[in-house]
Amino acid sequence: MTTSEMLGKVLSDLGRIGEVEACAIATRDGLLMEANMSTRGDPETFVAMSATMLGAAETATSELEKGIPKRVIVEADDGKLICMGAGPKALVVAMTAPEVGLGLVLVELAKAAEKVEKLLS
Amino acid sequence: MMKTGIPTLDDHLHGGVPQGKSLVYYAHPGVECNVFGMQTVHRAVSEGGHGIYVTSSTDPRMIRDQFKEFGWDAAEYGDRFVIVDGFSGLIGADSPEQYVVSNPDDIESLTQSIKQAMEGAYEPSVIVFESLSTIMDLCGEDETLDAIKEWNKYAMLYDHVVVYNFTAWPYSEDTLAHVKGDICNSVILIGGITEKVIFGQYFGVKKIDWDEITKKCVLFKVLKPGGIRVYLPKILVTGPFDAGKSTFVHALSTRAVSVDRLGTTVALDHGHVDHRGFAADIFGTPGQQRFDPIVKLLSGEAMGIFLILDSANTDDFVRARQMLDITETVGLPVVVVANKQDIAGALTPEEIRKELKMTNDIPVMPAVASSREGVFEAFDVMVERVLEANSR
Repeated sequence: MTTSEMLGKVLSDLGRIGEVEACAIATRDGLLMEANMSTRGDPETFVAMSATMLGAAETATSELEKGIPKRVIVEADDGKLICMGAGPKALVVAMTAPEVGLGLVLVELAKAAEKVEKLLS
Repeated sequence: MMKTGIPTLDDHLHGGVPQGKSLVYYAHPGVECNVFGMQTVHRAVSEGGHGIYVTSSTDPRMIRDQFKEFGWDAAEYGDRFVIVDGFSGLIGADSPEQYVVSNPDDIESLTQSIKQAMEGAYEPSVIVFESLSTIMDLCGEDETLDAIKEWNKYAMLYDHVVVYNFTAWPYSEDTLAHVKGDICNSVILIGGITEKVIFGQYFGVKKIDWDEITKKCVLFKVLKPGGIRVYLPKILVTGPFDAGKSTFVHALSTRAVSVDRLGTTVALDHGHVDHRGFAADIFGTPGQQRFDPIVKLLSGEAMGIFLILDSANTDDFVRARQMLDITETVGLPVVVVANKQDIAGALTPEEIRKELKMTNDIPVMPAVASSREGVFEAFDVMVERVLEANSR
């Protein structure tokens, strides 16, 4: 299996927990590596924005010496977006329906992030 | 010369494939390969030539649908596009095609149909094999290798160009060496990059026997519709505040989004460019100093940088140089865009070069991004520079 296929598996596992509607893996600097988002939107733009968001959040908190944030969660009327670093090179981002409780998603996303980090190291 | 229709490849082949010669698209498993052959036959037919498509693993109707997905309508080609149906015989289905292989798992039967099609063509044509690997799976490796020699000889006789799509599944070492080596006049390698963080697909010339090889590999991307594009995953657009970076990104892009508040880009502009066979993703950075951490974040893995300047605002030129430093991309191709050439007091590109103390090897391109003037010229120069930088 190529690295690309292995990352694809991580995403399809993540997509299998019902709450996750779309997810993607990208480099920290905003290039798409793998996406699992059916026909929803434009994955390249989606991950570029996610990377900027996470990077901006990390800069904002570390400027205040509050350390690096574990994740960025965005709550919108029609859904939630969770963005999480996966090692120094990559990040994982997932989208859920608005009413979803985040407990399981956060646990699974953290697991996915850990796997991605190991796959890329 | 028969053009392949794959961007930049015809240059690498010194104009295309000469009549009577053969070419293999040799792809590693997992990389898109069939689209290469499809684009080549489409190119030939859409330019008024004749094409023969030998299908082995797909229903001819599906083949026509696949062409349509790329925006190529096979029905428009009329009788200049012929399918040799080596599939329907496998499942015992009737076929409306002109040439039908009765026993696709018998190489003799296949050869017979292919020869008929070659003889039946009015003029020198492009013959594309949808999947040489499928033929090998059905008929055996050695049998297929022998048959290829015969097909190539026959094609030479009729001045046809033969193109094979081949996926390098784990066949015997000998077979792979032959396909990659002596059996055809030219070999194009198609592979994937997985070692680095970017995941990409590339192609490059492995062998040609009618001219010298230029050792260049280029990244590509398959667009639907559109087909194969040479792909630049990240081109950075940077420059001082209010130089017109967002305008430039939007002027260049087929679709673009911006994160701007009160007229200032606060996160990034992101756009897709599709221009003359080249596709690129463009990242525009904010210009104000307080966003510098974001500029640094976005500049990783860029393949080239556009530095956008307001040609009339010399006060910002120091900041412009400073922004190049922030991107930490020493050695990458830089194209300076002297924007806002239409306003009063705009310096000429040469004056700007002097003012910036840029060496002569860095191009300074005049532009008016708001009316799209000069933006594609700047993009062409960028593409040229990036390809050059990556061939070293």
